[in-house]
Amino acid sequence: MREGIPGPHPVTHLGRFRFVLIFTGCLLFAFGLLLTPPIQSLDVQFSRTLVQGSHWLILACGGHASRDAAILRAPGGFGVEMRDGCNAVNVTILLWSAVLAFPASWKMKAVGLVVGSAVIQALNIVRFISLFYVGQYSLTWFDFAHIYLWESLLVLDTMVVFWFWVSRVVRLDAAACAPA
Amino acid sequence: MPLPVPQLRPTTRFLLRGSTLLIGILALWWVSLRGPMLDLLHGAAGVFLQIRENPSGDWIVRVPFETLLPPTAKRPVAQQIHSINFEMPRSDASRFIFSLPVFWAIILAAPCARRNLWSLLIGTAIMAALEVALLLAFVDLAAYQAISHIQGDAGFRWGRQLGLYIVPDVLPYLLPFGVALSLHRELREQVFAVDTVMGRRARIS
Repeated sequence: MREGIPGPHPVTHLGRFRFVLIFTGCLLFAFGLLLTPPIQSLDVQFSRTLVQGSHWLILACGGHASRDAAILRAPGGFGVEMRDGCNAVNVTILLWSAVLAFPASWKMKAVGLVVGSAVIQALNIVRFISLFYVGQYSLTWFDFAHIYLWESLLVLDTMVVFWFWVSRVVRLDAAACAPA
Repeated sequence: MPLPVPQLRPTTRFLLRGSTLLIGILALWWVSLRGPMLDLLHGAAGVFLQIRENPSGDWIVRVPFETLLPPTAKRPVAQQIHSINFEMPRSDASRFIFSLPVFWAIILAAPCARRNLWSLLIGTAIMAALEVALLLAFVDLAAYQAISHIQGDAGFRWGRQLGLYIVPDVLPYLLPFGVALSLHRELREQVFAVDTVMGRRARIS
């Protein structure tokens, strides 16, 4: 019942507290679930699918690579394996927790979860392919890009995806509240 | 005649500035700040733990841990443990210092430059303390895991695994963003649109 609520209101501590509580709960629950054996096997399968997609994309763009399960190999012998944590499931969990904790309609939450996850996974494929090429150039810079740079960029992108989604929610909310 | 500068959305502006700063500051950290920051972490954590460096630069950490290992078939006499030593590769220790440059990049990319300096200074102190706390938590969890492994104690295994996943692999990436959002009011208000949705929903409930 939002029709009767006019314009913006100052933020309340209740709203913040509720967000932090649900966000932390969702995060812990999802990371805990991720470590269970059935989800781990799904996670491995998901990584293989992402590597398959990356392999297809490299071939489609005229590159050279071979694939063995979750490992992508270059003709020169360098190989990169997508392990747990490299498939962007952790940042997807981060986005899901934030979207679920944010006060919005379930329809908007569903849109945020689906579209946001797709954007993050698309970025992760770019990340994986770029790491495949950086690794062939220098293993030192591969470590830097793999452990620090791309992971941080993905969290930044996740934050921006969430921010963009919130601004959409606010715009639609304002349109719904506007007098006829 | 000068070309009109396109007005970017706050999200796009933050993404572009944040990505550029993240690449620049993290590259600087990797090339020249990593060594001195590892030394600082070594010094700060050394107040609570005994840390030595082996010739290859990896850390040998000694964790005080008082426990009595009960007798088993392989070890017929109970054994008193006072501390646990384990080796921590330098690259693993680096995981506890990169959050600071990430935090700097986020704050510098945030809107309202006037507030950035204050947030940068306070946040740097908070992040430095959190990095030491994370290292100490990780070392404690690892020691507890090692003892549980020797004792064959399967109790709370899932919780230990969760801790050993979250402390070194999740929190160092998440905390710079959390601290930046907590300290920088303009950034927080823009990201969460606090004046509108959150306040409105709180009133409804």
